[in-house]
Amino acid sequence: MRALFLAGAALLASGCATIQKERGHAEVAALVEERIGRKTRWNQGTPEDAEVARHLDTLLAKDLSSDDAVEIALLNNPALQATYEDLGVSQADMVQAGLLTNPTLSGSIGFPLSNDGVSETEFSLVQEFVDLFTLPLRKRVAKEQFIADTLRVAHEALATAAEVKKTYSQVQARQQLVELRRMVLEAADSAAQLATLQFGAGNITELELANERAAAEEARLELAQEELALVEDREHLNRLLGLWGPRTQWTLTEKLPAPPGEEAPLEHLESLAIRQRLDIDAARKQVELLWNALELSRSTRFIGRFEVGVHTHRDANGPRLFGPTLSLDLPIFDQRQALIAKLEAQHRQGERRLTELSVNARSEVRAARARLLTLRGVTERYHRVVLPLREKVVEQTQLQYNAMQLGLYVLLEAKRAQVTAWRAYIEAVRDYWMARAELEQLVGGRLPSTPGEAPPVPALPSPSPTQGHESHPGHGHGATP
Amino acid sequence: MSRRSMLATAGATLAGGALLLRGGAAHAQPSPAPTASPRAAAKAPARRDWLAPGMPGRDYQPVIVPNGAKLPWKVVDGVKVFHMVAEEVEHEFAPGLKATCWGYNGQVHGPAIEVVEGDRVRFYVTNRLPAPTTVHWHGLILPSGMDGVGGLNQKSIPPGETYRYEFTIKQTGTGMYHSHHDEMTQMALGMVGLFIMHPRRPVGPRVDRDFALMLHEWRIDPGAKRPDPNEMTDFNILTFNAKAFPGTEPLVVRKGDRVRIRLGNLSAMDHHPIHLHGYHFRVTETDAGRIPESAQFPETTVLVPVGSTRTFEFVADAPGDWAMHCHMTHHVMNQMGHDLPNLIGVKPGDLDAKVRTLLPGYMTMGQEGMGDMGDMGMAMPGNSIPMTGANGKYGYITMGGMFTILKVRERLDGEGDPGWYEAPAGTVAMEASLDELRKDGIDVAAPPRAEPGSPMSKLRG
Ligand SMILES: [Cu+2]
Repeated sequence: MRALFLAGAALLASGCATIQKERGHAEVAALVEERIGRKTRWNQGTPEDAEVARHLDTLLAKDLSSDDAVEIALLNNPALQATYEDLGVSQADMVQAGLLTNPTLSGSIGFPLSNDGVSETEFSLVQEFVDLFTLPLRKRVAKEQFIADTLRVAHEALATAAEVKKTYSQVQARQQLVELRRMVLEAADSAAQLATLQFGAGNITELELANERAAAEEARLELAQEELALVEDREHLNRLLGLWGPRTQWTLTEKLPAPPGEEAPLEHLESLAIRQRLDIDAARKQVELLWNALELSRSTRFIGRFEVGVHTHRDANGPRLFGPTLSLDLPIFDQRQALIAKLEAQHRQGERRLTELSVNARSEVRAARARLLTLRGVTERYHRVVLPLREKVVEQTQLQYNAMQLGLYVLLEAKRAQVTAWRAYIEAVRDYWMARAELEQLVGGRLPSTPGEAPPVPALPSPSPTQGHESHPGHGHGATP
Repeated sequence: MSRRSMLATAGATLAGGALLLRGGAAHAQPSPAPTASPRAAAKAPARRDWLAPGMPGRDYQPVIVPNGAKLPWKVVDGVKVFHMVAEEVEHEFAPGLKATCWGYNGQVHGPAIEVVEGDRVRFYVTNRLPAPTTVHWHGLILPSGMDGVGGLNQKSIPPGETYRYEFTIKQTGTGMYHSHHDEMTQMALGMVGLFIMHPRRPVGPRVDRDFALMLHEWRIDPGAKRPDPNEMTDFNILTFNAKAFPGTEPLVVRKGDRVRIRLGNLSAMDHHPIHLHGYHFRVTETDAGRIPESAQFPETTVLVPVGSTRTFEFVADAPGDWAMHCHMTHHVMNQMGHDLPNLIGVKPGDLDAKVRTLLPGYMTMGQEGMGDMGDMGMAMPGNSIPMTGANGKYGYITMGGMFTILKVRERLDGEGDPGWYEAPAGTVAMEASLDELRKDGIDVAAPPRAEPGSPMSKLRG
């Protein structure tokens, strides 16, 4: 009878286990916030979600910043929202693991086929009890699985955030690149216009005119390509932010910031990555849970099915009989060798995967750091040397133009070369920020000390006003003809 | 009778008079040396073939070298001794344009050398250049070993060393001197000069003003600071005595003066037709001497080939400001770009505004030609001069390069620039009054007319 009470208590206890929707997400939110300072939220069709939607609209109404974009993605990225549901699945598994197998009630009734008999009834209630002994371990395995899943979901969230940052930089850069293409077109167009005027005045051949016009038309097509690329970059960001309809009308005017004056210290990034990367943590948890699963199998290898029940039987004309039942698997043939071997292999596999992940993470961090530093050097070289030189070339070309040593075509060509250098600079700055986002993702959070606000890169090459230098002395009116 | 034997005769006749002149001269310092040093004796030729040194003001009237200099000398034992130093020189071509050139004695071109027929001359040449050099006495009759072609007549003078040239002047006229070692480089950098040889006795009518000008051409990009000796065709600075207008000094004469102008040309690649306004002149000399009067011909333009000198004379009887310039039009432009798009007749419309969005300060230029290019007041490259000219009395003079002004005046106060000519009333071109137009039956609005120039021509209108 004691066993029966026990069974009843266990039934009651496990019957209380329910699924809490918010569980897991809070942990994910905490992990993400700790690493990138932004909250995630799980859209669950509750009144709170309307609040979230309003918040989203507020963020989209103002000029979109990189941090806003990350926040929007964490709230609204459809893939991420789907991933959040993994937590629900995982939690359900965990709850399931805490439940006992339901008891089995069986009954039978036999009717006599002759007139002199009485019907016979038989009932039994049987509960499998091996679950009861393995329950704590199973719960632990399930919990670990849940934690690993939580880490994995948080890792997904961080990956999405990094992707958003990179795409944001791409959109920023592309807007500036479009502007620069527009300048190239302006220059080519001016040259073509001059050629048209010259041709009209009878000063050049049709061949020269055709050359200039062809160059202008090519510049126009290049602008169209660049504008298309901007549309594509924006759409990439729209997908990441999960936007459609009027919400895609966001504006982004913030210029690409120049790389910070000083780079954050980039030592110990490898160990930082090993310490804080969530996917590595998840892999670690996976190894642990596989170990526990293995332990579970090992500890129950000799325990087969173990059923306890009560049974009542009444024979015809006989008294009603009542008594316990017990049935037991004899682990003679199957001692779970196969299962254990499988789990052992899986555990080793998990360990190898963890090693692989760690080794790769270290290498990726080193590569990303090298890329970051190189790109930083490139942008600095552009900023400090190449762009000033290009500006000087334009300035000096304009002086030579003023001295009538060369014509507008050569002057415009100098401008075009300057714009080309600016394009390369913008691309390098963009790549720098993308590399930075990449490195942050690879170390699993912000870099040790995030540098302060960097001034934005000037949108366009500054026009070089032709002041200073010397004006020829003694000649007076300075009027335009 | 050959010239040489004629000179020998002249030398013999003049020997007595020359002795009286020994040792004293305006430019020369009295020689402290003994009359007959062993050294002098050692290098003296077997037969003394020279006269006593010719003295300025007495044996000759010195030439005027506008913007230029003359090489000083002293007399040592009856020989005119000069010291030339070949060196790098900072030279100003016109206000605003300086360049590092090569010249002599701090001058570009080298100072003019002025001697007299029959003089014995000795030149010490010190080389302070980084390259070897020589001096060739262009057009002079002298011993082969003194001719100055490096490697051919002598060893080129190494940097830091001093060589001696010595010979007797056996001719009259306008010669020149220049480097004859790596001529292409050294002459392009300025190593040339004039060599004036006066006759012992005046020849022809007395000359009141005797000007000497060297023609040269250079390549100096605006903003650069050294002539480019590698240039072969595209010269952009054309000079009289190494000055481009408005850097050229005017030739100032008094009305009625007999004026002689000597022109030497050591340009790299160009002959220059030099044209004088206001006069007909006669070409009287080449670098090989006087042209017989019967062969002198009237001219307004004299072509001075590379490596030649031409001398012409005229009486300055017409007062005024008269232009004298090379008549090759690109030779009266300063630092002009020769690859400019042709914009004559182009109306920029909104082009300027469009280009200014990319290049503030841009302005289309040249659609009416180059006349305005001197006075736009725009920012210019450092160390450069406007393509054309300077302000004149009536406006902007759209000339540069080989351009100067002959100023002829009734009266002169001193030696300076007398300023602009005041033309007598009614002798200056000016806007026609309506009255005049009416009186002469000119309708400015009527279609302009021209008549057939030949019986075969058919003109419309
Ligand atoms: Cu000329």
